[in-house]
Amino acid sequence: MEEDDLESRIAAYLDQQMPDARNVAVTGLSRIYGGSSQETYRYHAAWGEGSDRREGDFILRRDAAAGLVVAERDLEFTVYSALAGQPLPLPRVHFLELDTRWLDRPFFIMDLCPGRPGNPFDPNDPYEGNDASVARDFWTHLGTLAAIDHRAVGLEGLRNGAATGGFWQAELDRWEAILDEGETVIEPIVRGAIRWLRRNPPPEASKPAIVHGDYRSGNFLFTPEDGRVSALLDWEMCHIGDPLEDIAWAIDPFWPITRHMPLEDGLAIWEAASGLAVDRTALDWWRLFACVKACAIWTTAEASVASGESYEMIVALSGIRAGHFHRKQILAQMKALGAIA
Amino acid sequence: MRLTIEQTLHRIGRMLSERIAPDVSHEFVAQSARLSGGALNICANWIDDAAELRVEENAAIRAVLGEIAGVADGDLAARLGEAAASADPGLKLSVLDAENDLLRQLLVEAQGWLEAQDSPAAHALNAKVWGLLEEIESKRAPRE
Repeated sequence: MEEDDLESRIAAYLDQQMPDARNVAVTGLSRIYGGSSQETYRYHAAWGEGSDRREGDFILRRDAAAGLVVAERDLEFTVYSALAGQPLPLPRVHFLELDTRWLDRPFFIMDLCPGRPGNPFDPNDPYEGNDASVARDFWTHLGTLAAIDHRAVGLEGLRNGAATGGFWQAELDRWEAILDEGETVIEPIVRGAIRWLRRNPPPEASKPAIVHGDYRSGNFLFTPEDGRVSALLDWEMCHIGDPLEDIAWAIDPFWPITRHMPLEDGLAIWEAASGLAVDRTALDWWRLFACVKACAIWTTAEASVASGESYEMIVALSGIRAGHFHRKQILAQMKALGAIA
Repeated sequence: MRLTIEQTLHRIGRMLSERIAPDVSHEFVAQSARLSGGALNICANWIDDAAELRVEENAAIRAVLGEIAGVADGDLAARLGEAAASADPGLKLSVLDAENDLLRQLLVEAQGWLEAQDSPAAHALNAKVWGLLEEIESKRAPRE
Protein backbone atom coordinates (compact mmCIF):
# COMPACT_ATOMS: atom_id res chain seq x y z
CA MET A 1 0.00 0.00 0.00
CA GLU A 2 0.97 3.63 -0.51
CA GLU A 3 0.87 4.10 3.28
CA ASP A 4 4.04 2.02 3.80
CA ASP A 5 5.94 4.17 1.36
CA LEU A 6 4.54 7.35 2.91
CA GLU A 7 5.65 6.38 6.41
CA SER A 8 9.29 6.20 5.37
CA ARG A 9 9.03 9.38 3.31
CA ILE A 10 7.47 11.29 6.22
CA ALA A 11 10.18 9.97 8.54
CA ALA A 12 12.82 11.20 6.10
CA TYR A 13 11.17 14.60 6.00
CA LEU A 14 10.95 14.88 9.79
CA ASP A 15 14.54 13.81 10.10
CA GLN A 16 15.53 16.71 7.88
CA GLN A 17 13.21 19.19 9.63
CA MET A 18 14.31 18.32 13.16
CA PRO A 19 18.10 18.46 13.27
CA ASP A 20 18.18 17.55 16.97
CA ALA A 21 16.07 14.42 16.44
CA ARG A 22 17.56 10.96 16.15
CA ASN A 23 16.04 7.72 14.86
CA VAL A 24 12.75 9.23 13.70
CA ALA A 25 10.20 6.47 13.28
CA VAL A 26 6.77 6.92 11.72
CA THR A 27 4.23 4.17 12.27
CA GLY A 28 0.51 3.52 12.11
CA LEU A 29 -0.14 5.80 9.16
CA SER A 30 -3.76 5.62 8.05
CA ARG A 31 -5.89 7.77 5.86
CA ILE A 32 -8.87 9.47 7.49
CA TYR A 33 -11.87 8.99 5.29
CA GLY A 34 -13.91 12.07 4.43
CA GLY A 35 -11.08 14.50 3.79
CA SER A 36 -12.41 15.14 0.33
CA SER A 37 -10.82 18.56 -0.16
CA GLN A 38 -7.40 17.46 1.04
CA GLU A 39 -5.96 14.06 1.80
CA THR A 40 -5.78 13.63 5.57
CA TYR A 41 -3.59 11.04 7.31
CA ARG A 42 -2.89 10.30 10.94
CA TYR A 43 0.33 8.76 12.16
CA HIS A 44 2.44 8.15 15.22
CA ALA A 45 5.98 9.50 15.37
CA ALA A 46 8.73 8.68 17.85
CA TRP A 47 12.24 10.04 18.01
CA GLY A 48 15.17 10.61 20.30
CA GLU A 49 16.22 14.08 21.37
CA GLY A 50 19.21 14.45 23.65
CA SER A 51 18.70 11.84 26.33
CA ASP A 52 14.92 11.93 25.94
CA ARG A 53 12.60 9.76 23.93
CA ARG A 54 9.72 11.75 22.42
CA GLU A 55 6.58 10.67 20.65
CA GLY A 56 3.21 11.93 19.55
CA ASP A 57 0.23 11.52 17.24
CA PHE A 58 -0.01 13.83 14.28
CA ILE A 59 -2.12 14.75 11.29
CA LEU A 60 -0.71 15.27 7.83
CA ARG A 61 -2.83 17.22 5.35
CA ARG A 62 -1.72 16.83 1.76
CA ASP A 63 -3.14 18.56 -1.30
CA ALA A 64 -5.50 16.28 -3.16
CA ALA A 65 -4.75 15.58 -6.81
CA ALA A 66 -8.19 17.13 -7.34
CA GLY A 67 -11.08 17.78 -5.06
CA LEU A 68 -14.09 19.87 -4.31
CA VAL A 69 -12.50 23.28 -4.34
CA VAL A 70 -8.90 24.09 -5.09
CA ALA A 71 -7.61 25.74 -1.97
CA GLU A 72 -4.69 28.06 -1.56
CA ARG A 73 -1.96 25.72 -0.43
CA ASP A 74 -0.67 27.48 2.62
CA LEU A 75 -3.96 29.03 3.64
CA GLU A 76 -5.02 26.53 6.28
CA PHE A 77 -1.56 26.48 7.87
CA THR A 78 -1.49 30.28 7.88
CA VAL A 79 -4.87 30.50 9.59
CA TYR A 80 -4.03 27.92 12.24
CA SER A 81 -0.78 29.76 12.95
CA ALA A 82 -2.44 33.17 13.14
CA LEU A 83 -5.24 32.01 15.43
CA ALA A 84 -2.99 30.16 17.87
CA GLY A 85 -3.51 31.78 21.26
CA GLN A 86 -7.10 32.80 20.54
CA PRO A 87 -9.80 31.25 22.74
CA LEU A 88 -10.64 28.70 20.06
CA PRO A 89 -9.91 24.95 20.07
CA LEU A 90 -7.41 24.57 17.24
CA PRO A 91 -4.66 22.08 16.51
CA ARG A 92 -1.06 23.22 16.91
CA VAL A 93 0.68 23.28 13.53
CA HIS A 94 4.31 22.28 13.03
CA PHE A 95 5.54 22.25 9.44
CA LEU A 96 4.29 23.55 6.10
CA GLU A 97 6.04 22.08 3.08
CA LEU A 98 5.42 23.38 -0.43
CA ASP A 99 8.33 21.50 -2.03
CA THR A 100 6.79 18.53 -3.86
CA ARG A 101 9.93 16.39 -3.71
CA TRP A 102 9.04 15.08 -0.27
CA LEU A 103 5.49 13.76 -0.71
CA ASP A 104 4.67 14.62 -4.33
CA ARG A 105 2.29 17.39 -3.31
CA PRO A 106 2.36 20.23 -0.75
CA PHE A 107 1.39 19.28 2.80
CA PHE A 108 1.46 20.43 6.37
CA ILE A 109 1.69 18.67 9.71
CA MET A 110 -0.26 19.42 12.89
CA ASP A 111 -1.14 17.78 16.18
CA LEU A 112 -3.82 15.13 16.30
CA CYS A 113 -6.52 16.66 18.51
CA PRO A 114 -8.63 14.59 20.89
CA GLY A 115 -12.21 13.78 19.99
CA ARG A 116 -14.11 12.61 16.98
CA PRO A 117 -16.32 14.19 14.34
CA GLY A 118 -20.06 13.83 14.53
CA ASN A 119 -21.44 12.59 11.24
CA PRO A 120 -23.89 15.27 10.08
CA PHE A 121 -25.73 12.65 8.03
CA ASP A 122 -26.31 10.34 10.99
CA PRO A 123 -30.08 10.60 11.53
CA ASN A 124 -29.84 9.42 15.10
CA ASP A 125 -27.49 10.87 17.69
CA PRO A 126 -24.17 11.97 16.17
CA TYR A 127 -23.05 13.73 19.35
CA GLU A 128 -23.85 10.84 21.66
CA GLY A 129 -26.26 12.64 23.95
CA ASN A 130 -24.27 15.88 24.00
CA ASP A 131 -26.38 17.91 21.57
CA ALA A 132 -26.85 20.92 23.81
CA SER A 133 -23.25 21.32 24.95
CA VAL A 134 -21.78 20.65 21.50
CA ALA A 135 -24.17 23.14 19.89
CA ARG A 136 -23.42 25.71 22.60
CA ASP A 137 -19.70 25.42 21.94
CA PHE A 138 -20.32 25.46 18.19
CA TRP A 139 -22.13 28.81 18.37
CA THR A 140 -19.79 30.29 20.99
CA HIS A 141 -16.70 29.54 18.91
CA LEU A 142 -18.28 30.95 15.77
CA GLY A 143 -19.14 34.14 17.64
CA THR A 144 -15.63 34.33 19.08
CA LEU A 145 -14.19 33.98 15.60
CA ALA A 146 -16.37 36.82 14.34
CA ALA A 147 -15.14 39.08 17.13
CA ILE A 148 -11.45 38.72 16.22
CA ASP A 149 -9.82 41.60 14.37
CA HIS A 150 -8.24 39.85 11.38
CA ARG A 151 -5.61 42.58 10.97
CA ALA A 152 -4.52 42.25 14.58
CA VAL A 153 -3.71 38.56 14.05
CA GLY A 154 -1.99 39.10 10.71
CA LEU A 155 -4.67 37.71 8.42
CA GLU A 156 -5.07 40.73 6.14
CA GLY A 157 -3.48 38.60 3.41
CA LEU A 158 -6.57 36.40 3.19
CA ARG A 159 -9.01 36.90 0.32
CA ASN A 160 -10.84 40.25 0.80
CA GLY A 161 -8.44 41.00 3.64
CA ALA A 162 -7.89 44.60 2.61
CA ALA A 163 -11.55 45.32 1.90
CA THR A 164 -13.82 47.18 4.27
CA GLY A 165 -17.07 46.28 2.52
CA GLY A 166 -18.60 44.81 -0.61
CA PHE A 167 -18.10 41.28 0.71
CA TRP A 168 -21.39 39.95 -0.60
CA GLN A 169 -20.54 41.04 -4.11
CA ALA A 170 -16.97 39.74 -4.00
CA GLU A 171 -18.11 36.33 -2.79
CA LEU A 172 -21.03 36.11 -5.20
CA ASP A 173 -18.70 37.05 -8.09
CA ARG A 174 -16.23 34.41 -6.95
CA TRP A 175 -18.72 31.56 -6.82
CA GLU A 176 -20.41 32.57 -10.05
CA ALA A 177 -17.00 32.48 -11.76
CA ILE A 178 -16.42 28.99 -10.36
CA LEU A 179 -19.79 27.93 -11.79
CA ASP A 180 -18.90 29.47 -15.15
CA GLU A 181 -15.71 27.48 -15.21
CA GLY A 182 -17.07 24.15 -14.03
CA GLU A 183 -20.56 23.77 -15.48
CA THR A 184 -20.88 21.74 -18.66
CA VAL A 185 -24.66 22.03 -18.55
CA ILE A 186 -25.79 25.32 -17.06
CA GLU A 187 -28.29 25.23 -14.19
CA PRO A 188 -30.91 27.97 -14.70
CA ILE A 189 -32.19 27.56 -11.14
CA VAL A 190 -28.81 28.54 -9.73
CA ARG A 191 -28.44 31.40 -12.21
CA GLY A 192 -31.90 32.63 -11.28
CA ALA A 193 -30.90 32.67 -7.63
CA ILE A 194 -27.75 34.66 -8.48
CA ARG A 195 -29.81 37.26 -10.35
CA TRP A 196 -32.16 37.59 -7.39
CA LEU A 197 -29.24 37.95 -4.99
CA ARG A 198 -27.79 40.74 -7.13
CA ARG A 199 -31.13 42.55 -7.40
CA ASN A 200 -31.70 42.33 -3.64
CA PRO A 201 -28.31 42.93 -2.00
CA PRO A 202 -27.92 42.63 1.77
CA PRO A 203 -26.73 45.52 3.91
CA GLU A 204 -22.99 45.90 4.41
CA ALA A 205 -21.44 43.54 6.92
CA SER A 206 -21.52 44.69 10.54
CA LYS A 207 -17.74 44.28 10.41
CA PRO A 208 -15.11 42.56 8.26
CA ALA A 209 -14.80 39.17 9.95
CA ILE A 210 -12.73 36.05 9.62
CA VAL A 211 -15.08 33.69 7.79
CA HIS A 212 -14.19 30.03 8.23
CA GLY A 213 -15.88 29.24 4.91
CA ASP A 214 -16.98 25.69 5.76
CA TYR A 215 -18.14 25.97 9.37
CA ARG A 216 -20.60 23.14 9.82
CA SER A 217 -21.39 19.82 11.45
CA GLY A 218 -18.72 17.36 10.36
CA ASN A 219 -15.89 19.90 10.36
CA PHE A 220 -15.16 19.88 14.08
CA LEU A 221 -14.28 17.30 16.70
CA PHE A 222 -16.05 16.73 20.00
CA THR A 223 -15.09 14.73 23.06
CA PRO A 224 -17.95 12.43 24.13
CA GLU A 225 -16.81 12.26 27.74
CA ASP A 226 -17.50 15.95 28.39
CA GLY A 227 -19.55 16.93 25.33
CA ARG A 228 -17.20 19.74 24.36
CA VAL A 229 -16.02 20.82 20.91
CA SER A 230 -12.32 19.92 20.95
CA ALA A 231 -11.12 21.15 17.55
CA LEU A 232 -12.33 23.37 14.72
CA LEU A 233 -11.02 21.97 11.44
CA ASP A 234 -11.06 22.34 7.65
CA TRP A 235 -10.19 26.00 7.19
CA GLU A 236 -9.20 25.77 3.54
CA MET A 237 -11.98 28.12 2.39
CA CYS A 238 -11.24 30.75 5.05
CA HIS A 239 -11.45 34.39 3.96
CA ILE A 240 -12.51 37.79 5.19
CA GLY A 241 -16.16 38.63 4.78
CA ASP A 242 -19.56 39.04 6.37
CA PRO A 243 -19.85 36.90 9.51
CA LEU A 244 -23.40 36.03 8.48
CA GLU A 245 -21.91 33.90 5.70
CA ASP A 246 -20.68 31.33 8.24
CA ILE A 247 -23.97 31.38 10.16
CA ALA A 248 -25.95 30.73 6.98
CA TRP A 249 -23.60 27.89 6.03
CA ALA A 250 -23.87 26.33 9.49
CA ILE A 251 -27.66 26.18 9.34
CA ASP A 252 -27.91 24.99 5.75
CA PRO A 253 -30.38 22.07 5.77
CA PHE A 254 -27.79 19.71 4.28
CA TRP A 255 -25.90 19.64 7.62
CA PRO A 256 -27.96 21.83 9.98
CA ILE A 257 -26.67 22.51 13.46
CA THR A 258 -30.27 23.49 14.16
CA ARG A 259 -30.96 19.77 14.53
CA HIS A 260 -29.19 20.04 17.85
CA MET A 261 -30.29 23.46 19.11
CA PRO A 262 -33.11 25.79 17.98
CA LEU A 263 -31.89 28.53 15.67
CA GLU A 264 -32.85 31.46 17.89
CA ASP A 265 -31.03 29.92 20.88
CA GLY A 266 -27.93 29.46 18.76
CA LEU A 267 -28.09 33.01 17.38
CA ALA A 268 -28.39 34.39 20.92
CA ILE A 269 -25.21 32.56 21.92
CA TRP A 270 -23.45 33.83 18.79
CA GLU A 271 -24.55 37.41 19.48
CA ALA A 272 -23.27 37.23 23.05
CA ALA A 273 -19.90 35.83 21.96
CA SER A 274 -19.40 38.16 19.00
CA GLY A 275 -20.90 41.34 20.41
CA LEU A 276 -22.73 41.70 17.10
CA ALA A 277 -26.41 41.56 16.21
CA VAL A 278 -27.78 39.21 13.58
CA ASP A 279 -29.86 40.98 10.94
CA ARG A 280 -32.44 38.26 10.21
CA THR A 281 -33.35 39.69 6.80
CA ALA A 282 -29.72 39.82 5.78
CA LEU A 283 -29.33 36.26 7.07
CA ASP A 284 -32.04 35.16 4.61
CA TRP A 285 -29.91 36.60 1.79
CA TRP A 286 -26.88 34.68 3.02
CA ARG A 287 -28.91 31.47 3.30
CA LEU A 288 -29.78 31.65 -0.37
CA PHE A 289 -26.17 32.57 -1.12
CA ALA A 290 -25.10 29.44 0.81
CA CYS A 291 -27.12 27.30 -1.60
CA VAL A 292 -25.46 28.96 -4.59
CA LYS A 293 -22.03 28.46 -3.03
CA ALA A 294 -22.83 24.82 -2.34
CA CYS A 295 -23.95 24.30 -5.95
CA ALA A 296 -20.66 25.78 -7.14
CA ILE A 297 -18.72 23.41 -4.89
CA TRP A 298 -20.71 20.41 -6.15
CA THR A 299 -20.02 21.58 -9.70
CA THR A 300 -16.28 21.49 -9.09
CA ALA A 301 -16.75 18.02 -7.62
CA GLU A 302 -18.52 16.81 -10.75
CA ALA A 303 -15.95 18.47 -12.99
CA SER A 304 -12.99 16.88 -11.21
CA VAL A 305 -14.51 13.40 -11.54
CA ALA A 306 -15.61 13.99 -15.13
CA SER A 307 -12.12 15.10 -16.13
CA GLY A 308 -10.54 12.06 -14.47
CA GLU A 309 -8.57 14.21 -12.03
CA SER A 310 -10.43 12.67 -9.11
CA TYR A 311 -11.41 9.05 -8.50
CA GLU A 312 -12.88 9.74 -5.08
CA MET A 313 -16.39 8.32 -4.96
CA ILE A 314 -17.37 10.69 -2.14
CA VAL A 315 -16.61 13.51 -4.57
CA ALA A 316 -18.65 11.88 -7.35
CA LEU A 317 -21.65 11.35 -5.10
CA SER A 318 -21.38 14.90 -3.77
CA GLY A 319 -21.78 16.14 -7.31
CA ILE A 320 -24.75 13.89 -8.03
CA ARG A 321 -26.76 13.99 -4.82
CA ALA A 322 -25.90 17.29 -3.20
CA GLY A 323 -26.27 19.37 -6.36
CA HIS A 324 -29.87 18.24 -6.68
CA PHE A 325 -30.50 18.83 -2.98
CA HIS A 326 -29.31 22.41 -3.12
CA ARG A 327 -31.18 23.28 -6.31
CA LYS A 328 -34.36 22.06 -4.61
CA GLN A 329 -33.38 24.13 -1.60
CA ILE A 330 -32.95 27.21 -3.79
CA LEU A 331 -36.49 26.73 -5.10
CA ALA A 332 -37.83 26.38 -1.55
CA GLN A 333 -35.98 29.42 -0.26
CA MET A 334 -36.96 31.60 -3.21
CA LYS A 335 -40.59 30.67 -2.59
CA ALA A 336 -40.20 31.56 1.08
CA LEU A 337 -38.68 34.91 0.07
CA GLY A 338 -41.60 35.57 -2.28
CA ALA A 339 -39.20 35.64 -5.23
CA ILE A 340 -41.14 32.94 -7.08
CA ALA A 341 -44.65 31.58 -6.79
CA MET B 1 -33.43 -13.04 -21.74
CA ARG B 2 -30.89 -10.39 -22.69
CA LEU B 3 -28.93 -8.61 -19.98
CA THR B 4 -29.60 -4.86 -20.26
CA ILE B 5 -27.18 -2.03 -19.48
CA GLU B 6 -29.37 -1.12 -16.52
CA GLN B 7 -29.34 -4.65 -15.10
CA THR B 8 -25.61 -4.99 -15.63
CA LEU B 9 -24.86 -1.76 -13.78
CA HIS B 10 -27.16 -2.81 -10.93
CA ARG B 11 -25.39 -6.17 -10.62
CA ILE B 12 -21.95 -4.55 -10.59
CA GLY B 13 -23.17 -2.03 -8.03
CA ARG B 14 -24.43 -4.81 -5.76
CA MET B 15 -21.22 -6.78 -6.26
CA LEU B 16 -19.18 -3.79 -5.12
CA SER B 17 -21.41 -2.88 -2.18
CA GLU B 18 -22.38 -6.30 -0.88
CA ARG B 19 -19.57 -8.68 -1.79
CA ILE B 20 -16.37 -6.79 -2.41
CA ALA B 21 -16.61 -3.98 0.20
CA PRO B 22 -17.22 -6.28 3.20
CA ASP B 23 -14.17 -8.37 2.29
CA VAL B 24 -11.78 -5.42 1.95
CA SER B 25 -9.81 -4.82 5.13
CA HIS B 26 -8.57 -1.34 4.23
CA GLU B 27 -11.28 0.95 5.57
CA PHE B 28 -10.86 3.69 2.98
CA VAL B 29 -10.87 1.25 0.05
CA ALA B 30 -13.90 -0.59 1.43
CA GLN B 31 -15.79 2.68 1.80
CA SER B 32 -14.82 3.64 -1.75
CA ALA B 33 -16.18 0.32 -3.00
CA ARG B 34 -19.48 0.88 -1.17
CA LEU B 35 -19.81 4.40 -2.56
CA SER B 36 -18.92 3.16 -6.05
CA GLY B 37 -21.75 0.66 -5.74
CA GLY B 38 -24.11 3.46 -4.78
CA ALA B 39 -23.01 5.61 -7.71
CA LEU B 40 -23.47 2.71 -10.12
CA ASN B 41 -27.00 2.11 -8.86
CA ILE B 42 -27.89 5.76 -9.48
CA CYS B 43 -26.43 5.49 -13.00
CA ALA B 44 -28.36 2.27 -13.59
CA ASN B 45 -31.62 3.95 -12.58
CA TRP B 46 -30.88 6.85 -14.90
CA ILE B 47 -29.97 4.92 -18.03
CA ASP B 48 -33.23 3.53 -19.42
CA ASP B 49 -35.07 6.79 -20.01
CA ALA B 50 -32.01 9.07 -20.22
CA ALA B 51 -32.52 9.94 -23.92
CA GLU B 52 -36.29 10.30 -23.57
CA LEU B 53 -35.92 12.62 -20.58
CA ARG B 54 -33.49 14.88 -22.47
CA VAL B 55 -35.58 14.93 -25.65
CA GLU B 56 -38.68 15.89 -23.66
CA GLU B 57 -36.80 18.49 -21.65
CA ASN B 58 -35.33 20.10 -24.76
CA ALA B 59 -38.78 20.19 -26.36
CA ALA B 60 -40.29 21.81 -23.28
CA ILE B 61 -37.56 24.46 -23.19
CA ARG B 62 -38.02 25.17 -26.93
CA ALA B 63 -41.75 25.62 -26.37
CA VAL B 64 -41.27 28.20 -23.64
CA LEU B 65 -38.51 29.96 -25.60
CA GLY B 66 -41.01 30.27 -28.46
CA GLU B 67 -43.51 31.89 -26.12
CA ILE B 68 -40.93 34.36 -24.85
CA ALA B 69 -39.92 35.14 -28.45
CA GLY B 70 -43.50 36.35 -28.90
CA VAL B 71 -43.07 39.12 -26.34
CA ALA B 72 -39.35 39.88 -26.79
CA ASP B 73 -37.94 42.09 -29.49
CA GLY B 74 -34.91 42.56 -31.71
CA ASP B 75 -32.00 40.17 -31.74
CA LEU B 76 -33.16 38.28 -28.65
CA ALA B 77 -36.55 37.55 -30.18
CA ALA B 78 -34.89 36.32 -33.36
CA ARG B 79 -32.52 34.00 -31.51
CA LEU B 80 -35.30 32.65 -29.29
CA GLY B 81 -37.51 32.06 -32.33
CA GLU B 82 -34.71 30.24 -34.09
CA ALA B 83 -34.07 28.02 -31.06
CA ALA B 84 -37.78 27.31 -30.68
CA ALA B 85 -37.88 26.03 -34.25
CA SER B 86 -34.73 23.91 -33.90
CA ALA B 87 -34.51 20.15 -33.40
CA ASP B 88 -32.13 17.86 -31.54
CA PRO B 89 -29.20 17.08 -33.84
CA GLY B 90 -28.96 13.46 -32.67
CA LEU B 91 -29.91 10.99 -29.97
CA LYS B 92 -26.56 10.32 -28.31
CA LEU B 93 -26.67 11.49 -24.70
CA SER B 94 -23.61 13.66 -25.29
CA VAL B 95 -25.33 15.34 -28.25
CA LEU B 96 -28.56 15.83 -26.33
CA ASP B 97 -26.67 17.24 -23.36
CA ALA B 98 -24.79 19.71 -25.55
CA GLU B 99 -28.07 20.82 -27.12
CA ASN B 100 -29.64 21.00 -23.66
CA ASP B 101 -26.86 23.32 -22.50
CA LEU B 102 -27.39 25.63 -25.49
CA LEU B 103 -31.12 25.79 -24.83
CA ARG B 104 -30.61 26.34 -21.11
CA GLN B 105 -28.13 29.15 -21.81
CA LEU B 106 -30.78 30.86 -23.91
CA LEU B 107 -33.37 30.24 -21.21
CA VAL B 108 -31.14 31.94 -18.64
CA GLU B 109 -30.72 34.93 -20.93
CA ALA B 110 -34.44 35.04 -21.69
CA GLN B 111 -35.36 34.83 -18.03
CA GLY B 112 -33.00 37.68 -17.22
CA TRP B 113 -34.77 39.73 -19.87
CA LEU B 114 -38.22 38.78 -18.53
CA GLU B 115 -37.24 39.84 -15.03
CA ALA B 116 -36.30 43.28 -16.33
CA GLN B 117 -39.76 43.80 -17.87
CA ASP B 118 -42.67 45.35 -16.04
CA SER B 119 -45.57 43.73 -17.80
CA PRO B 120 -48.10 41.11 -16.73
CA ALA B 121 -47.21 39.01 -19.78
CA ALA B 122 -43.52 38.95 -18.84
CA HIS B 123 -44.33 38.14 -15.22
CA ALA B 124 -46.60 35.29 -16.28
CA LEU B 125 -43.97 33.87 -18.60
CA ASN B 126 -41.31 34.13 -15.92
CA ALA B 127 -43.55 32.22 -13.53
CA LYS B 128 -44.04 29.61 -16.23
CA VAL B 129 -40.26 29.26 -16.64
CA TRP B 130 -39.80 28.73 -12.90
CA GLY B 131 -42.52 26.08 -12.99
CA LEU B 132 -40.71 24.33 -15.82
CA LEU B 133 -37.40 24.48 -13.95
CA GLU B 134 -39.01 22.92 -10.89
CA GLU B 135 -40.43 20.14 -13.04
CA ILE B 136 -37.06 19.53 -14.69
CA GLU B 137 -35.33 19.33 -11.31
CA SER B 138 -37.80 16.73 -10.10
CA LYS B 139 -37.38 14.58 -13.19
CA ARG B 140 -33.59 14.82 -12.95
CA ALA B 141 -33.46 13.79 -9.29
CA PRO B 142 -30.95 11.06 -8.42
CA ARG B 143 -32.80 7.75 -8.24
CA GLU B 144 -31.27 5.79 -5.39
